[in-house]
Amino acid sequence: MYLYEPRSNYFYDEGKINVLNETQLWAILEGTIVTLEIALVAIVVGAVFGVIVALGRISKNKVANALSWFYIWFFRGTPLLLQLFIIYYAIPIIYLEATGTSFQVDAMFCAFIAFSLNSTAYLAEIIRAAIESIDSGQMEAAKALGMSYRQAMTRIIIPQTFKRLVAPMGNELILLLKDTSLVSTIALFDLLRTVKTMASASGSWIYYIYAAAIYLFLTTIIQVVFDKMEKKLGVYER
Amino acid sequence: MSMVKLVNVRKSFGNLEVLKGINLEIQSGEVVCIIGASGSGKSTMLRCLNHLERISTGEVYIQGELTDKREKNKDLMKIDPAKVQALCAELGMVFQNFNLFPHLTVIQNITVAPTIVKKVNKDVIEKTALVLLESVGLSEKRDEYPSRLSGGQQQRVAIARALAMEPKIMMFDEPTSALDPELVGEVLATMRHLAEEGMTMIIVTHEIGFAREVADRVIFMDEGVICEQGTPDEVLLNPKEERTKIFLNKIL
Repeated sequence: MYLYEPRSNYFYDEGKINVLNETQLWAILEGTIVTLEIALVAIVVGAVFGVIVALGRISKNKVANALSWFYIWFFRGTPLLLQLFIIYYAIPIIYLEATGTSFQVDAMFCAFIAFSLNSTAYLAEIIRAAIESIDSGQMEAAKALGMSYRQAMTRIIIPQTFKRLVAPMGNELILLLKDTSLVSTIALFDLLRTVKTMASASGSWIYYIYAAAIYLFLTTIIQVVFDKMEKKLGVYER
Repeated sequence: MSMVKLVNVRKSFGNLEVLKGINLEIQSGEVVCIIGASGSGKSTMLRCLNHLERISTGEVYIQGELTDKREKNKDLMKIDPAKVQALCAELGMVFQNFNLFPHLTVIQNITVAPTIVKKVNKDVIEKTALVLLESVGLSEKRDEYPSRLSGGQQQRVAIARALAMEPKIMMFDEPTSALDPELVGEVLATMRHLAEEGMTMIIVTHEIGFAREVADRVIFMDEGVICEQGTPDEVLLNPKEERTKIFLNKIL
């Protein structure tokens, strides 16, 4: 590792501190994969369960409605970091106290759970708003044609929300991607923690620039892909 | 044969009573036009027939079968949702704002309900859909999205879509009110054609001329009650009720 050197030398002093060696390159790549994995799992799981929670919020069934409301209230109302701590640190202790046996927690698995639970709450609200923005005449027309509520939702209403969901979903994915840096607190090496370690070991700030470049690269891809999707899903609009 | 029957039907939205005791029976093959000022309960009455609105009090029958019986918003009968849904699907409905499904093409708009509700074979229903499109004069628009059609064309597709479910009765809720004047004619022509074929029709409309021409019976509604009904000549030319006279004077 590199020792502290005077500031003026960092960038211009050729070689050792600003160019990544192979080990560092792999470490950064692995950190990037951790970051990406968590964000992608969270957005996919969040979208699927988000639909269910959103339907609960819209439902006339009081129990379903109350459960969804409570879910969103809790997971939006407390910090993601706290949720991560509860799942990674608190639950094993509670389990140990209750059963007298301990179990091995996988940090990555805990991160998947915490991020998915959290993004479900946000996406549920996004999806609910999108469903409610569809003109009520659509549901009426579907019902008048003999469709059940479920058929009307799956074939008529929800497909019409797709285009309206793309932009806020892209937004959510970008937020998630950046929030993954919270997992450094549960012994995971995401992109940011990886470069932070390198930076403090070497005393060079250039690693932060590398990280910024990678974050920007990833968010740019998300932005471009989601823009394309939005155009494609809107073909039926004039 | 009685197609639909309402017995002492009342409907309130909160404290506002929109229907104040409606008794109405419509026979097979009848063309009934319902006229009246906005807010008189015409549309609500239609919507109570196919459960888009639940009545507050009264009884609703479709083809002689009880589909709703309530007293002060409490159910007095056990409703079998599948059966009620099937009976309500016998009533085709055309809306003021067309309500075509914007994410589906014209042909998909027509085939979607028969395929998923009645499980009709896709090839069979596509053939039917093409015949229906032909009859409303829109064959060449089969693969267009609704947003690329004029209002009159959209409403004709909506009529074809309702007909694809082979309804016994067609209900029209102010089908021409959202149309530009020059597009009204094509929709009325389609409806006239349907009437000539013997379809049972209930039409809420402001087109008095059309009502005179096609209706077997005209109903004038005012403030939640059926104020006067009879043949077009009786109601439209020689109204007995003062309120009917005032209304007709206003719109003619």
